[in-house]
Formats: sequence, structure tokens, C-alpha cells
Amino acid sequence: MTLLQMHGVTQTYALPRQGLFAARPRLTVLDAVDFGVDLGQAVGLVGESGAGKTTLTRILTGLERPQVGHVQFDGTDIWAGDTARRAQFRRAVQVVMQNPRSSLDPRMRVGVALHEPLRALKIAGDHAARVHQVIDQVGLTRAALERFPHEFSGGQLQRIAIARALMPGPRVLIADEPVSALDVSIQAQVLNLLKDLVADLGLSLVLIAHDLSVVAYSTSRVSVISAGKIVETGAPLELFTRPRTAETRALVEAVLTVEAGLAGHALD
Amino acid sequence: MRARLNASLLVGIVLTVGFLAVATLSFFWLPYNPNIPDIPNRLLPAGSPGHLLGTDVLGRDIIAQLMVGARTSIIVGAGGATISLILGVITGLAAAAGGRITDETISRGADIMLSIPGMVTALVLAASFGSGVVTTILALTAFFTPSFTRVVRAAAMSVLQEDFITTARLYGRGQVFILARHVLPNIAGVLIVQFTLFFAAGILTEAGLSYLGVGVTRPNISWGLMLSEAQNQVGVSSPLALWPGLAIVMVVLGLNLLGDGLRDVLDPKLTRKAT
Amino acid sequence: MSAPAVEVRDLRVGSGPLQAVRGVSFTIPAGGRMGLVGESGSGKTLTALALMGLLPMGWAARGSVLHDGVDLIGQSDRQLSQRRGRTISMVFQDPLSALDPVRRVGHQVASVIRRHTAASRAEAARQTVDLFRQMALPRPEQMVRAYPHQLSGGQRQRIMIAMALACYPQLIIADEPTTALDVTVQKQVLRLLNTAVRERGSALLMITHNLPIIAAICDTVAVMYAGRIVETGPVEDVFRRPRHHYTRGLLVSQPTMDNIALDGSSRLPSIPGMVPSLQALPPGCAFHPRCPAASDRCRAEMPELSGTGAQAACWHPVTAP
Repeated sequence: MTLLQMHGVTQTYALPRQGLFAARPRLTVLDAVDFGVDLGQAVGLVGESGAGKTTLTRILTGLERPQVGHVQFDGTDIWAGDTARRAQFRRAVQVVMQNPRSSLDPRMRVGVALHEPLRALKIAGDHAARVHQVIDQVGLTRAALERFPHEFSGGQLQRIAIARALMPGPRVLIADEPVSALDVSIQAQVLNLLKDLVADLGLSLVLIAHDLSVVAYSTSRVSVISAGKIVETGAPLELFTRPRTAETRALVEAVLTVEAGLAGHALD
Repeated sequence: MRARLNASLLVGIVLTVGFLAVATLSFFWLPYNPNIPDIPNRLLPAGSPGHLLGTDVLGRDIIAQLMVGARTSIIVGAGGATISLILGVITGLAAAAGGRITDETISRGADIMLSIPGMVTALVLAASFGSGVVTTILALTAFFTPSFTRVVRAAAMSVLQEDFITTARLYGRGQVFILARHVLPNIAGVLIVQFTLFFAAGILTEAGLSYLGVGVTRPNISWGLMLSEAQNQVGVSSPLALWPGLAIVMVVLGLNLLGDGLRDVLDPKLTRKAT
Repeated sequence: MSAPAVEVRDLRVGSGPLQAVRGVSFTIPAGGRMGLVGESGSGKTLTALALMGLLPMGWAARGSVLHDGVDLIGQSDRQLSQRRGRTISMVFQDPLSALDPVRRVGHQVASVIRRHTAASRAEAARQTVDLFRQMALPRPEQMVRAYPHQLSGGQRQRIMIAMALACYPQLIIADEPTTALDVTVQKQVLRLLNTAVRERGSALLMITHNLPIIAAICDTVAVMYAGRIVETGPVEDVFRRPRHHYTRGLLVSQPTMDNIALDGSSRLPSIPGMVPSLQALPPGCAFHPRCPAASDRCRAEMPELSGTGAQAACWHPVTAP
């Protein structure tokens, strides 16, 4: 059952004029894109920078309106609903971004930052209890609530960002490059956390990355995006062993492993 | 926030606090009335009994005049800086968050205002509305606001690019909330520093205007006015110009040191990179 | 038998009471390639900066760094600047901030050549175009006139490599050279670095937390944790038979297609806890709070490197393959 889906989405941006009377060229950032996630499913989106991943995320979360095509949540177009429906959508779809130092307000204590989604989205119930519940789920201590972001490491900050995303009890979690800014030993911790949350809370997960192995580990279906088009979709193992398009092959070949390095053919 | 107190910041704090203390004191106690002439005691040199720094050409005590002058410096300097700050924040935030047309209009407006020399504005205002404290404050505001606008705009634009702003929008927070609760606290450091620097500049500018006769006039007293009056006595009693001049130097220096010191204290926490 | 490219003995880097590098020693033979594995907080970047004499204000280095016949520690900045770019050079992680944004890239590379060699302006320009061609940069004659912001990340990084190699240095230090790049560009840049370094006979110190890169390029590896080297040796030995638990943890926690079970139920093994902060280093072996084999001895005594060939600093090294 499809939960969040974008359908036939095309998005273009105007570029600066080349001459005084020339028409403004348009850059096609997304081209007739179909992408979505089902209930309880974990899907991945891989592509290089500039492929359109960021724009796709912005459209999927309702930050940007698609020029062509529509975005549906739970069967309804997210741009057609009334205020109540929009509020419901905002509560149900949450985002974790790549750079945890940028995604938290440096002037806000962690505790205040965690209360923020509950206040802004006007969630009923005991906020303090909810905050405690969620920080336990992600493995943080109560002491963290009193501190400021600059007192934490990148990995801890990403946990805080994940905790914040979980506050409104979302049904879809969109993780945009959640581990690329982190150290290798912390990447595993965060990926495991995401996997556990999906399993324990029945969340749908959209994981966006430029590294195929990260996405392959965490999701059951991966889409490859290149120059604004989805060029291939399939199970991670399929994409790795039987890539059908040149773009997918390029991504598979880009993966470096210790084994290949030791064997001496990593850079071929 | 671990403050790194260095020597210059300390000096800045001492001078500024001293200055504010003297000005406050002047409301409660003055050694003499600074405006009533006392001809028999005119032009007493410094160190005379009862007049530590001497008296001016009309016999008025120098210390009393300096104290009241301090008051004026604060009213004019802080007044000008405060109003400019408020106007600058409003216009700067509007330019940063408002879209291209708003940005272009405000930025070009600020550019135009900045290209008019401050003194010209002051003279025009004085000619139209008469000189005095209020006119001086208006002139300062006209001069400082566009600079504040620029500073606020640049700082706000940099903050608006951060992911936590995007997150706030995802929660449905409106533009005003974001500017007030997320942007302003994050540019506060820059604003505080700029405020102290403009405060100092305001005092200096006011001294200049009063010296030219288009600023503050009696019975208001300002250090610039004292300098102007002392000008006539240069041959007869040169030290008369020394005291207000020294006062201006110390206060402006103090405020500048404070501003620089604050900048160092407030920034590094946010910009220091991990090794 | 030529002298080693660099011989580091008991290097210590600190700022006041904080010690970020606590006694690091290694030798890189002429033309050799060593990988330095470290995550944030391990002290790897400060080690590199200490070798270059580019430590930030407030940080000082002790110990000895023997290179090109002198001990770099104790040299004045003037003496060091005659070596930087010529006998020892560095490639940084972020090419955008490492290149001067207001000068054309060709000019930046040529100026390094002219600083250290007797080349004329025309000769340096010619060598620059040649370098760009070797770096497989498209249309090198035109690219020299470009500004950094007009180029892609991969192109900028290749220019940085060109700049580092221009004077045929004895040692190149590369600090996370591909971390900021897209994954498809990483391989190209690494390939280039690999070939260029080999052709010039330069030695390479590759600093990264990305183990596959070290496996692909380096002969030897040193693993750094909390300011000390905890394991070192030939890459094959250390990566196939890691003896320190941190090394082993790093190796098994990388997501690769081998770890992924077909039904997606696998859990990625991970090292619990976090890298300790400099202000709160654990006593004894700094890794003990996160180590599955920690004992009382580990909590009290700091182990030294021991072993032949591959060495590990551990009281209870991993024994099973």
C-alpha cells in the first residue's frame, strides 16, 4: 500500500539570461519522476551530486511545489488539502539531513530543539514525557537535553537529529545522506539505529545517498537517479550483480572494498 | 561561554563602565552648576582649590561640564546607535528574507544613503529643523542605518542557508517566527559588536557637529561644544581644549576596545573547527 | 639504499594541557606508501600538519621528524617554507577552501613551480599545462585560465594534486583527499594520484578513515586512536589478520555487499561508544571503554606496540582469524 508517492514530477529552474534579448534557458532538474515508498517499506535513492536528489527531497517533503505532476500522501494530493490535512502531512513525514551541525540551531539547547516539533506542529499530550521516551529510543542520556549542539560529536548530533524527527510520531522518515558526514565507525551505529527504528516502529524509510553500499544495507528497493531521471529501480542485490544501465554500473564500479583493494584490482 | 579576558578587553570594559558611571552620577550630583557663570573665578588653571580641572572663560567648572557632557554623549551616541540598530534590523531582515525585488530596493536605497556624506545630512537637517540633541540623533541615524542594514542583511543571509531554517519551515513555522527566533539570536553577536562601534562613532560625530555649531547648544553641554568654546582661548588657556578632547579619546577608545573584545569572545565558539 | 622519505620519532603535539598526538613513530621509505587510519579525534590531521610545520596557533610539536637530512621540528618557518611544495607537500580535504578563489588555477600551480625552481614564467606555464594534461583535465590550455569556482570538485582536487606534485617532492601527504568528492569521481582521482605518485617516485602518506582506499593504494598502514598508533604493519597482514580490536571493529563495520544478507535482516557490527575527547582520555589503553576484551590490566596500563612485522598495542590481541 503506497504511503508517500510522487508521480510524473517535472521541475525546471530558470537560468540567467545569456544575452539581453535571449530567452532564459531552463534547466530541467527533475524529468517525469515517479518515486515513492509503501507502508513499512525502506527504499533508497542513489545518484551523484547534481542528479536531482535534493530537489526530489524538497518536493517529497512539501517544501517545493512540483510544476508538473503531483505528490500524494495516503491517497490525497498534499497540495490540494485544507490546513488540517497539511498539518497532518507535516506530522507524518519527517526529515533527517546530511550535516547535523547545520540542522540544529546552535543557539538552542538540545532539549528545546527537541520540544520544537511538538510545539510547532501543535501535538497534544505530555511533551516532556514524549521527549524522554524518544531519547531513550535513540540511545541518548537525559543530560544531553541541557547542552548545546557544539558540545556534541557529529555522530551524537545525528542521533539528536533523528530523535527530533521522531518526535511527532511520523510514518515516513526521509534520511538525506544521513551518514556521509560521519566517521566510519559511527556510520554503522547510525545505520543500525535507522534499521531498528524501521523494524520497531513500523516506519517507512526513504534513504538518500551517493554510496550504493550504504543504501544497499538499509533498504529493500533502490532507485538510481541521474540527470533528473530515474534510470533504474530494483533490489540492492540485483543492482549490484546485474546492473542494467550505464549509470548504475558506474555507481557499482565506484564502490571500493577492502577485499578488492588487497587483491590489487580496486582501481581498475 | 568561556570568556577570554585579554588586556584590551579589560581596558575597554573599565573605560566604558567608568564613562557610564560618571554620566549616571551626573544626574544625582554635580560639584557646581555647569551653566551659571562665575566671572571672578574664570580661567582658573587645573589644580586650583575647589576646581580640580579649572574653570572656563565664564568661570564654569570643567569637571561639572565634563560630567553633563558625558550624559549628552550617551544620549546622542546610544540614541543614534539604538534607533539605527532597530531600523537596520528591520530593513536588513526584510532584504535578506524578502525576495529579489525587496532586496534590490532596500540594498540600493542603503547604497544611496551611504553615498551622502554624514556631515552634509547633518547640516541640511540643522538648517531645516535647527540644531540640538534631537537633530543630531536624526543625523546620526540617517548615517548609521544603511551600514546596519548591510551588516544585518549579510549575516542573516548566511544564517538563512543553514539546514535548521529548512527544518523550521518543514514544521510550518512562518517567516516572522523564523526571523525572530532563529535568525536574530544567531546574528546577535554581530549586532552587539556593531552597536558598540557605532556608539563610539556617534560620540565622535556629535563632537564634530557640536564643534561646528550645528550640534548641541547651551544650556545643553557636550564635549564637542566645550571644544568649540575652548577654541577661542587657545592662546590664553590652552588646557581648556585638553580635557574634553581627552574625554572623547578615552571613551571612544574604550568603546572600540570593548567592541573588538566582544567580537573575539562571541565568535570563536561558533567558528572554531575540530582538529 | 636511499634515505627514508620521512622518519618520525615519538611525535607529540599538544596545546597547553591537551595532548592530541601522544608519541607517534613511523618511517616511510623512499617511494613507499603508508596509510594512516584515523577518525575524528584521533590526531591524524595534527600529525600531518606537524610534519608540514603548519600547526594552528597555540599548538606545538615535540619529538623528531627527519626528512631530507634535517629534523623538521626546530626549523624556522622560513627554512620550512623552502621545503614545503618542493620536498614535502600536502593535498587537503576541501579543494575549494585550499585554492585561492581570486587567482586563476594555472597561475597558482605555476607560482609553486617558480618559487622552488629556476623556471621562467613561460617555462612554468608550459610545465603547468603539461601537469594538467597528466591529471587528465580536459582542455588543459584553457583550464589553466579558469578560476576555482568554475570547476567541479573532482577537477579542483586534481589541480591540488598537480600543485603538490609539481616539484617532484620526496613525500606527499594526502589528508582525506577524496572524502568531499562524489563517489564516482573518487576512483578517478585515486587512480590518478596512484599513477602520478608512482611515476615520480614520491612517497605517499595517505590519511583517511576509509579503509578500502588504503587497501587499494598503500603498502603499509598505521591505525591511530586517541593520539597513538595502536596497530601497524604491511596492509595485507593488518587488514587480513587485525590484532587490535579497534582495527577489527573498523574492518567489520563497513557496509559491503558481503555483509548484506539476502533478506535484509543482517545487523552491521559496530563499535559501541565514541572516540574519547582530549579532555577526558581514559587511563591505560584509551580504547578499553569500547573494547570487548578489556580487562583490569587494560584499564590501568597503556600497552606499547609489540610484535614482529605487524605490530599491535594490545594486552589481549585478537587471535582468531
